Amino acid sequence: MKKYIIKRVFISLITILVLVSVVFALVRLMPGDPFASEKLTPEIRANLEQYYGFDKPLIVQYFTYLKNLVTGDLGYSMFYPNLRVNDIIASAFPYSFDLGMRALAMAISFGLVLGIVAALNRGKVLDFTCVLIAIIGTSMPDFIIGAILQFFFGIKWGLLPVAQYKGISYTILPSIALGFYTLALVSRVMRANMIETIQQDYIKTAKSKGISKLRVVLKHQIRNAIMPVITILGPIVAALLTGTFVIESIFAIPGMGRHYVQSIQNLDYTIILGMTVFYGSFLVVANMIVDLLYGIIDPRIRVSGE
Amino acid sequence: MKGRKLLAWMLIIILAFGVVGCTTPGSEEPAEEPEEQEGEEAEQGEEQAAEESKKILRYSLTADVPTLDQHLANSIPSATVGHQIFEGLIRTYQGEVRPGIAEDWDVSDDGTTYTFYLRDTQWSDGEPVTAYDFEYSFRRLLDPKTASGYAFIGMALKNAGDVNKGEVPVEDLGVTAIDEKTLEVELENPAGYFLSMLSMMQFAPTREDYVEEFGKDYAANSENNVYNGPFVVKEWRHEDRLILEKNPNYWDADSINLDEVHIIIVPDQMTALAMFEDGELDMVEVPAEVVSQYEEDVEYYYNGANDFIKIQMDGSSPLENKDLRLALNYALNRKEFIMLSTGGLYDPNPRYVLPQVNGVEGEFGDEYPYEAYPVEGDIDTALEHLDAAMEALGVAEASDIELELLTTDVERTRKEAEIIQDDLESKLGINIDIRQVPYKQRLEMEGNKDFEMVVTGWAPDYSDPMTYLELWTTDSGYNHGSYSNSEYDAKIKLARTSTDQQERMDAMFEAEKILLEDGAIIPLQLRRIAMLTNPDLVGFESYFVGLSYEYTYADFK
Repeated sequence: MKKYIIKRVFISLITILVLVSVVFALVRLMPGDPFASEKLTPEIRANLEQYYGFDKPLIVQYFTYLKNLVTGDLGYSMFYPNLRVNDIIASAFPYSFDLGMRALAMAISFGLVLGIVAALNRGKVLDFTCVLIAIIGTSMPDFIIGAILQFFFGIKWGLLPVAQYKGISYTILPSIALGFYTLALVSRVMRANMIETIQQDYIKTAKSKGISKLRVVLKHQIRNAIMPVITILGPIVAALLTGTFVIESIFAIPGMGRHYVQSIQNLDYTIILGMTVFYGSFLVVANMIVDLLYGIIDPRIRVSGE
Repeated sequence: MKGRKLLAWMLIIILAFGVVGCTTPGSEEPAEEPEEQEGEEAEQGEEQAAEESKKILRYSLTADVPTLDQHLANSIPSATVGHQIFEGLIRTYQGEVRPGIAEDWDVSDDGTTYTFYLRDTQWSDGEPVTAYDFEYSFRRLLDPKTASGYAFIGMALKNAGDVNKGEVPVEDLGVTAIDEKTLEVELENPAGYFLSMLSMMQFAPTREDYVEEFGKDYAANSENNVYNGPFVVKEWRHEDRLILEKNPNYWDADSINLDEVHIIIVPDQMTALAMFEDGELDMVEVPAEVVSQYEEDVEYYYNGANDFIKIQMDGSSPLENKDLRLALNYALNRKEFIMLSTGGLYDPNPRYVLPQVNGVEGEFGDEYPYEAYPVEGDIDTALEHLDAAMEALGVAEASDIELELLTTDVERTRKEAEIIQDDLESKLGINIDIRQVPYKQRLEMEGNKDFEMVVTGWAPDYSDPMTYLELWTTDSGYNHGSYSNSEYDAKIKLARTSTDQQERMDAMFEAEKILLEDGAIIPLQLRRIAMLTNPDLVGFESYFVGLSYEYTYADFK
């Protein structure tokens, strides 16, 4: 087991190192000059290059960055010269994470319910309504849903706040907008799976045993239909948590989305690298935890490790 | 087996849900919401009343202020806030020069030496503001180690250029603190507009002890800096909101009516508009697409931005030919261009210098009216010039002339480029290719002279025609179009060294005419902003140099 853990950790670190190195090279290959501004002169540019250490050989810059990285120091932003990248990410990420989690919670809970209700009322009006909602959700871009919600619930009827993220009521519209696609997807898959499980033999067995319809649904149908739904959620969870630029822009939420886009436009090397390191690590660590849990749950891994 | 891995994922997700809980990252303390105070103590009720009767100005920005460090600030939003939290020797208001921390000053006869006498004032931490704080500030601006992107603003100071290049020590800069209350400033050339520049954030006093203590973290948040302006920074939640509070230590605090200023970051302009209509903001800039819906209520102001096409005249392009450049200038229908691109929100510019900048006593545009090219174009003159150009270049067909127009790949500039391309191609029969690149890349190419025509612009650094005209002297670092005219250089030199305002302005007007008669650029438009404000708000002004809004003396009726 120990060997297994060490091996996993080691691989994760190598992955992050490769990621950082690749991005380090890539940002410098991007066309454009990070110092470019309307009023730049050659003398000012020379001073800026020296300040950021860009006048040193690339390999020196690379190792300096790695050295700082090891101590967890992602440096200072180039566009926000007094702000540490660590602080920028630390203040922005909670917003994106919170929004993503709420969107996910809403999407999964309502999506499952919608899918189950549709399957159980197959062919009737309720089914049709649920399917319609699903189609709208998968075909409409999230920012259009966001803008529509904002207009009706925020501006026209004044029921919910138009923008910002200062309390629970502020989170409702953006999480619906963000999660709607996932909700639609979940409901469609759940409905399809539920319908499929009804055909299964064990359902017929249960019914013939005289178990009540409700118990059949809860104990057998849902449990078996839900597994495939979780599978598709993997990449979607990652996308939801990493902040969507447009939703955060429309609702004035200070999350990570804006830094994604802005850092590229501004050629802010340190933020681009910092965000890559952060997200790369986040996903690598999450994967590692899952693998470790998997190792714990599955006895074969435990045994072979000894 | 797949099931167990899925189980593991589910465990993680459930754990995460638990973490989210009932609060959001941006929650404010419940005490701020008045609705909750039903059965509270009378004391707290009073507190609430005081809270609600505070005069709070709220406006929004589309992006967070990049920095409030006096010498690293290089954007208009930073300058707009800087103007409120710091005060320099001078405080301008709507362009008018007024005493700031300096209550009086002397100027030498040759106009190059200023002596400022400071009044007794304090920083927000109680320490006195001294001439040493100014000396330190000016030096820090030009110090190459600071790597200030705005160092160019101090080039009028003696030895500024050499200091910034690192060739001489900062102590050689033309600024000296004679004593605690007296500051001497020496300039390279007399520059009457220099006084107004001293109102800028880059020349605000700076406390060396704070910079030393916080180093790179200086000004990163409200506590890492100290203030001497009408307001102080109360709280700065990055990317979310910046809150200013009236500074009780400000020497003129009695003139300040507002209690707080809330600057909210709202990236989407339509959302900001919705927030204004919802009563959450006291002013908003109306996007061009919907201005027509607010015709009756908006106020327009020029924000100083002056767009034009820079032309490469170094010989690598047929545009080296003057007649060709003039053909383009006379062919372009600027009025139609404006109507098509912004529906009339911007103003067509048939000259170069922004008319609103200072003239001898009034506005330059009023004292020296000028229309270099007819606003709707003049196709006959254009074709005459085109013929002359074709003959000189040895070109048989107009369609053999192919030019590249470089522009930024955002919606507005893309549209503008297409309108120009269409107009010039159809009128002259030449071919124009549009090349769109990201903003930073366009700037880089422009700086490297890697363009034939590029859509660019200039915003004024001070209210004087020189801010636009000094770009085109043969030795100017901003002269990327390789323009060179000795007559032009002579006029600019005169305007720089003369102390007679009338003589200066006459010379600068001559220079402007030379530039446009040479067809050195293709002027396009002056940008206007449509603003909606809370009818109860007074004293909220806009300005076109260095900052966008001035609300020092704003108040609510």
